[in-house]
Amino acid sequence: MHEEPLLQIKGIGKQFPGVRALHDVQLSLAEGEVLAVVGENGAGKSTLMKILAGVHSPDRGEIRLGGLAIDLSSVRDAQRLGICLIHQELNLADNLGVGANIFLGREPSGRVGRWLGMVDRRTINERSREVLQRVGLNIEPNTLVHTLPIGQQQLVEIAKAISVESRVLIMDEPTSSLSDRESERLFQVIKALSSQGVSIIYISHRLGEIQHLADRVLVLRDGLNAGELSKDEISRDKIVRMMVGRDVSQFYARTPHEQGDAVLKIENLVTPSFPTEPVNAHVRAGEVVGLAGLVGAGRTELLRTVFGIDRAISGRIRVGAHDISPGDPVHAIHRGLALVPEDRKAQGLLLEMSVRDNISVAALRDHLKFGGWMDRAFESRAANDAIQDLSIRVTSPNQITRLLSGGNQQKVVLGKWLATNPSVLLLDEPTRGVDVGAKHEIYRIIENLAKKGLAILLVSSEMEEIIGICDRVLVMHEGRITGELSREQFAGDLGEEAIMKLATSHQPQATTMPTAIDSP
Amino acid sequence: MNLFRSSLGALLVVGIALGGCKKEDSDQPESTGKEKISLAFVTNGPANFWTIATAGVNAAAKDFDCNTDVRLPNGLVDQNRVLEDLLARNVDGIAVSPIDGENQNGKINEAAGRTHLITHDSDAPGSDRLMYIGMDNYTAGRMCGELVKEAMPDGGEVIIFIGRLEQANAKLRRQGTIDELLGRDFDPTNYDSPNARLEGNGFVILDTRTDDFTQAGSQSQAEDALARYPEIDGMIGLFAYNPPAILNALRGADKLDQVTVIGFDEDEDTLEGIKDGHIFGTIVQNPYMYGYESIRILAALAREDMSVIPEDGFLDIPARKIVKANVDDFHAELRKLMGED
Amino acid sequence: MIKLLGILALLFAVCATTAKLNPDFLGVYNIQNVVRWTSLFGIISIGAAFVIITGGIDLSIGSVVGLVGCVMPILLVNKGWPAWLMLLAVMGMALLIGLIHGLLITKMRLQPFVVTLCGLLIYRGIGRWITNDRTIGFGSEFNDNLRLVATGKVHIPGLNGFAMPVPAFILIALVIVSALFLNRTIWGRHLLALGRSEEAARYSGIRTDRLVILAYVICSGMAGIAGILFALDANAVQPASHGSFYELYAIAAAVLGGCSLRGGEGSIIGVVIGAAIMRVLYNSINLLGIPTQLEFAIIGSVILLGVVADEIVRRALRNRAARKRLKRGNE
Repeated sequence: MHEEPLLQIKGIGKQFPGVRALHDVQLSLAEGEVLAVVGENGAGKSTLMKILAGVHSPDRGEIRLGGLAIDLSSVRDAQRLGICLIHQELNLADNLGVGANIFLGREPSGRVGRWLGMVDRRTINERSREVLQRVGLNIEPNTLVHTLPIGQQQLVEIAKAISVESRVLIMDEPTSSLSDRESERLFQVIKALSSQGVSIIYISHRLGEIQHLADRVLVLRDGLNAGELSKDEISRDKIVRMMVGRDVSQFYARTPHEQGDAVLKIENLVTPSFPTEPVNAHVRAGEVVGLAGLVGAGRTELLRTVFGIDRAISGRIRVGAHDISPGDPVHAIHRGLALVPEDRKAQGLLLEMSVRDNISVAALRDHLKFGGWMDRAFESRAANDAIQDLSIRVTSPNQITRLLSGGNQQKVVLGKWLATNPSVLLLDEPTRGVDVGAKHEIYRIIENLAKKGLAILLVSSEMEEIIGICDRVLVMHEGRITGELSREQFAGDLGEEAIMKLATSHQPQATTMPTAIDSP
Repeated sequence: MNLFRSSLGALLVVGIALGGCKKEDSDQPESTGKEKISLAFVTNGPANFWTIATAGVNAAAKDFDCNTDVRLPNGLVDQNRVLEDLLARNVDGIAVSPIDGENQNGKINEAAGRTHLITHDSDAPGSDRLMYIGMDNYTAGRMCGELVKEAMPDGGEVIIFIGRLEQANAKLRRQGTIDELLGRDFDPTNYDSPNARLEGNGFVILDTRTDDFTQAGSQSQAEDALARYPEIDGMIGLFAYNPPAILNALRGADKLDQVTVIGFDEDEDTLEGIKDGHIFGTIVQNPYMYGYESIRILAALAREDMSVIPEDGFLDIPARKIVKANVDDFHAELRKLMGED
Repeated sequence: MIKLLGILALLFAVCATTAKLNPDFLGVYNIQNVVRWTSLFGIISIGAAFVIITGGIDLSIGSVVGLVGCVMPILLVNKGWPAWLMLLAVMGMALLIGLIHGLLITKMRLQPFVVTLCGLLIYRGIGRWITNDRTIGFGSEFNDNLRLVATGKVHIPGLNGFAMPVPAFILIALVIVSALFLNRTIWGRHLLALGRSEEAARYSGIRTDRLVILAYVICSGMAGIAGILFALDANAVQPASHGSFYELYAIAAAVLGGCSLRGGEGSIIGVVIGAAIMRVLYNSINLLGIPTQLEFAIIGSVILLGVVADEIVRRALRNRAARKRLKRGNE
């Protein structure tokens, strides 16, 4: 049914300073087709999509639309040709109404109004209602966007795209912050649009969704096509093998961990984000515990509260035999906690400072001379040790951290915490924005640390990562731990499904309630 | 790289600065064969009043063949700094209008020890200055009081506006006005607190408002006074910019001819106000002569002629009353002095 | 380091040009004066630098200088307090002002601009009120004792006739202490870190609030020390104008000296050189007989040129680094 490709990409390459994002990528898309694009972080998915949306221009290669070569040098160009990108982070002015958002930047005005810069509200409302209908939203066009749940905002974004007669819609992980029901509704809209002839490029990590929606899957790896699968060939194993480019078990190098006593104990901890959900959990020495769930499930908030960035409303956090004062990261660090935060650039690093300054900044406090003087010898030693142990690639410890690649930056963050000799390591999306090679190294570092007896609590949105390196998984949904799975339970073929089920259901599963915390 | 560019920037700016002062070639001592004497005239701030004085300075510079530099510092600390810089330049004489004569004695003595130093407009009693050129402010204040009495023969409620009260000239000027209105004896040592309500001889002096030498401040003070005392009969402005500010306030309140205005000094708007009948009269000092006489005397001192210093160390430049009858003549004279005709 | 050399060159260029055009610039009397003024303004500039390093701003410096100046003669002359007690009280007041700023900025999460702008107005108003807006001074009683802190000079043997003004020694002491604090102690390091990114600093276990408060206390404290010296030097204080605009001179000197208003950057020595450039410019405008009216225009132009030059260099270096990386990436 899709004979002639609507959109065709041939030999696209794109080089950024220091990074080759795309090497040589081919893609074709038929009218009304849903094409899933998958790949590891850094495989080139987002660069490819940004090229299609006119954000970046390619260094080489050709893009054809309807058989004609086209030049996409601006977002406006792309939109005029009917290609529209819906970002993972929504691009809505949430202080304005739905209709105003749909027509933002191209507000219709009457014959007279044009000269006065006046907006024709009636036209906006009528036409907004039409497109909202098409995405199955029955809301008034003057509803303020921020009053809508996130799923409906997503649909508004889609309505905005189809209101400009888009022929190609690109969706970048659209379900990452949606609930089950919201996702289901989105799928219906996607299917309806595809039957109306709109082609869709769908980027996602979730294999279930892909199996459910996609007509075809394109796998990217290191800026190259790693392979394609038609609808009936789609399976997790095949996709993962293509994505990783080697045997999965080898990639997530993992040996059984020798586990000790529970080091981190979280007892009835209530975070400010979910004031009605007390959380209980523990992590043993030498154990890697994964914290799975949807975006917004409260995982990051839990780590922040444990570490003291947010002040706990009530409950206890214990490291070993010591209580941690709430809302006091300095005390948490003193007792052996360390947090590799979600946003590396804003929270993890002092980007404009040197690698050495970054590595020593948290540990300096414990290495003072005469009560306040910095121990410069310790500083150099700590930096050199970290650079060597974690094989951080720098020209010198004085190099400005901003100039490092994502993977090396993340290793600097790890180095900073290892210099404090922690006993508990909290990791929040440690491999986000890191290329495949560095990812592998970070897994190896985590593995080594676990072997040395650190208790590690890992938040990740990448199912592969959770399944690949964890000993035990806790799943969160809306601030509550809805289940706990042992390695045997999640490592099997149905593991991912089991995790997803817990991540989207509010009721704790009776059989998998977190066990009471008492060290054996 | 940075070094190079920074130096380039510095040179550029200095170049601009030099371009700016090129026209005053005489500033460079090397440029004439025989060293011309160089004198400085330091005011107590930037004001129109000093524009007229500058005209006098320039005229005297021509007449007595010397270089002159007029400096208009911003406040007391700045005035001290300007004095220091002039001393560093080894000028042959300085005429200064000290902002706070009493407490600046140290700086004035430091200057008097290094060059010829005289005061003008406002004195620094007790310092080592050679002499003082100015008006007897107490007498001028009494003249102002006389004008008020002429304008308001039946007395009434008045308010006084003045820039600052710290300066000796301001204190005396105000006190003269008050003493005349209240019918007191001639005694320059009187002092009434600015916030006191004073009554006598048919007059009530409601208040004295200061504005720290800003015209905008003065106008808002006048506006506030009109709001607070709607029945007020007379407004007296003792600094040059006060009468125009009062006029503006009255115009805004639509009370132009209901309130009698007596001014001080010869601001253009004040003179126009007298012509139009909105201001009864003004007492004028003679800033032109301050400038001219300061330079005349300093030039003579620099040439080691000490005879120019009067016995009592005071050169009186008397004040005059300007009312509707003589305002046109005075205005013409003034324009001539400023070289506007 | 390169930056430091750059502004040093700028200072040297301004000095050399002035000296060339008017040799009196190098006279002992003039140099002593320039050194004294640089010391006074250098002190407030160091204070401003600490706040700017945290990414904040303090607009109240001039008003603190003014208020200190107003309070001193009242306590000393009118109330007859002993000098030491007066100094203690005045410094206590300045530090308290800084503490209040810091608390409002950290605990109430108010913007530094707003807090210190209100401070600017409040302290100026209080100063004018307590003095009835009349110029007050110390008279001649303190000329030979207390005032020597600001006006005294110490002969330096071997420097024919040159006597170092006492404030210069105070500045040197403060520079040493501040530079050591900023570069050698953990608090200085943490201050720089939090200026770069308050969030990252907090995630690294730095008590950011305390440090921000400390920076404002240091800033007002420096303004207090300088305020004491300014008042003693002038011997008289005009409540309405004493110290006004000084915060802008201090901020300008700090920026000229290499502080970024974005925070996280700054060197104490650089800031003092920046203050020196400003004072030499003022001095040369008078020495060269450039009309008073051009004063601000010239100072503003020099600062602007300095900052523009700095930005050009910064970009050139960044582009070079980017090109290098690109080249490496292509290999």
